[in-house]
Amino acid sequence: MNMMSRFLMALLFLLLSTAVWSQHEHGQAHEHEHEHEHEHEQSVSENTADAASVTPATGRLTTTPEIEAALANGGTAVVADVLGVVCDFCAVAMNKIFGKQEEVAAVYVDLDTKALNLVFKPGASLDDEAIAALAVQAGYRISAVHRNAAVLGS
Amino acid sequence: MRIIAGLLLLLISAAGSARPVSYVGGWTLIEESNRQSTAALIHYTPSPSWSLGLRSEWVRDEDYAITSLQPTYLLKRWFGQDYQANIYLQGGIGLASGTSGNPLSSTTAAYAGVIADWETRRFFLGYNARYVDAGHFGDNAMQLVRVGWAPYEGDTQDLHTWLMLEVDHRPESKDPVSVTPLLRFFRGPALLEVGFNIVDPTPLLNFTYRF
Repeated sequence: MNMMSRFLMALLFLLLSTAVWSQHEHGQAHEHEHEHEHEHEQSVSENTADAASVTPATGRLTTTPEIEAALANGGTAVVADVLGVVCDFCAVAMNKIFGKQEEVAAVYVDLDTKALNLVFKPGASLDDEAIAALAVQAGYRISAVHRNAAVLGS
Repeated sequence: MRIIAGLLLLLISAAGSARPVSYVGGWTLIEESNRQSTAALIHYTPSPSWSLGLRSEWVRDEDYAITSLQPTYLLKRWFGQDYQANIYLQGGIGLASGTSGNPLSSTTAAYAGVIADWETRRFFLGYNARYVDAGHFGDNAMQLVRVGWAPYEGDTQDLHTWLMLEVDHRPESKDPVSVTPLLRFFRGPALLEVGFNIVDPTPLLNFTYRF
């Protein structure tokens, strides 16, 4: 077996190992809701000029320990459907931009639901236009913003 | 017609570099090593549409290095619920200097290129082309096409794994066309690519970290 064959076999082994490991880890990650809710949904149409036809994402909040803690502290939740989030760099960009906002208590970008999950500090908020403008700074577009009871499934 | 065909070709192709423009206020550190050169780049993104970087590239076989300022402009980004596509224009101007005892004096160098990509969570297509004029050190052109497939869809903060194949064309090289199978590992702000050129036996090692 020449060096090239060994190298390719090593690459294949690495690929399979990481795939198995990541699937296992993914299975232990956050629980997602998959029901469609459209209550109090507002389209941010001015930011979808280049978007393809858009079907709604779940519009339901993805919970993480940080988001649960922020909700427990009295924060209000918003879920924004995001166009173009296909990788972790996208999530990092959104987390960095929104995490710097003083109104935001917790932020999580869920690649599975293609959604930006925000919990604001008690008494604070960002309107839809501000959320859309911040998403543009991160390099992405918001297609819809869901607020209040709908995002919590209540 | 040719322009449209060219744009379509760019769109259905994809890029070696992962997101050369970051979020506003973001810094990105990139290392790239392929069969021709080894490069380090740090760039800052002041606007969603452009970044400015400092790049140092060692062209190993030709015994010179280019240190340059590298602006990158996001010409167009397409958004979809399940995809993103981009066309970037990239350039650079700086100083080329001899290495490894190369007696040639330093001179001005410049380059220009285009990067295009289309990406979903499962598939990746990319194209990258660049022309470098390094004065008396010579000039060179390259283009590469990359295709990628992810065997699973990782969620946020999972380890994302891609199986990719890169075909590059360097007309001045002794092997003008070469093929590099590679693996891309991606988690949070860090991206690592490991591959091996099977035509011009050389490792490929790329690393990106986004601050």
